[in-house]
Amino acid sequence: MLNEMLLNLAEWLAVQDWSIGLHEAYYMYGWVEGTHVLTLMLFLGMLCVIDLRMLGLILTDVPAAKIAQRLDTPMMIGFGIMLITGFALYYAIPVRTTQSIWFRIKVVLLIVAGINALLFRNKMHASADTWSEDPVPPKRIRLGAGLSLGLWASVVTAGRLMAYDWYDCNKSMPEFMYWAAGCVAELAASEAP
Amino acid sequence: MELIAFFQWLDQSALAEFSKAYGGVFAIVQVGHILSMVLLGGMIITGDLRLLGVVMRDIPSESVLENTHRWLAPALTVSIITGSYMTSAIAMKIYHSGFFWSKMYWLAAGIVMVYLIRRPLLKFDHASINPWTLRLMAIASITIWFNVAGAGRWIGFS
Repeated sequence: MLNEMLLNLAEWLAVQDWSIGLHEAYYMYGWVEGTHVLTLMLFLGMLCVIDLRMLGLILTDVPAAKIAQRLDTPMMIGFGIMLITGFALYYAIPVRTTQSIWFRIKVVLLIVAGINALLFRNKMHASADTWSEDPVPPKRIRLGAGLSLGLWASVVTAGRLMAYDWYDCNKSMPEFMYWAAGCVAELAASEAP
Repeated sequence: MELIAFFQWLDQSALAEFSKAYGGVFAIVQVGHILSMVLLGGMIITGDLRLLGVVMRDIPSESVLENTHRWLAPALTVSIITGSYMTSAIAMKIYHSGFFWSKMYWLAAGIVMVYLIRRPLLKFDHASINPWTLRLMAIASITIWFNVAGAGRWIGFS
């Protein structure tokens, strides 16, 4: 049901003039994708500095909460650009992206990373007074920072693997994979008696 | 030895045989390359934005630059190793790619900037250096490394 809805939406987007235009553009698509990848250095780069500080591996002579506060704005600017260019990339190739198992994994990981960031931020604000100046923060904070780095590295991995066609709908796969990738027609065909 | 001879040798090497045969390994190495560039770029941008007075203005720039510099060598090493592996899989295509050579020139400029200009200059007390020298160096550094990453991304489109 959800797979059909997502595919219908993607097919509707795919026939929009702007979607076709962006997909067919000789340079524009490359510029959008290039910006998406380059902004990784700003967003994830800042995130790395913050998380490495939380792990006690960088700038240990500066309070951890101070680092997080000072780098929050450029990091969120980077995230905003990545989000906008990410939507544009989806809009340019909606059907294949919707039916990409890697894209689906990436979206799930993004949600988990977002929840972790929110919980981490709340935890940090609630308790930073007690450990912010410690060169090595408490274990629970280090755990959150490690999880954050791992999740974002996984988001990058899933994003990069979207370029490969190993699990595209036209490949022969188990039924579960057709379902997970949202290959509606292929799943129906494989279920038919 | 002409450079093309090196690329022809690389194309026929055991490493190329392996990297061409295992697409999954290539993809994972590619992810390692991107993540090492993220770490490298992140540390460079953080240091340069501090020199420009955009971020962490209340934290001594000496501390920020010293701390971020430590991560450059490991990140650069991983990106060169992973980049060499990726090159081996498509050595002859890469040799004829203008974007690849553009990336190499920018990378050489980046290494010169980090180890022969930025690092030696910033060993001095930052307050004793003309602020415009610091700002211009930071702008040049950000420009160089964005071009390294940008040219690298465009290799894939060529």
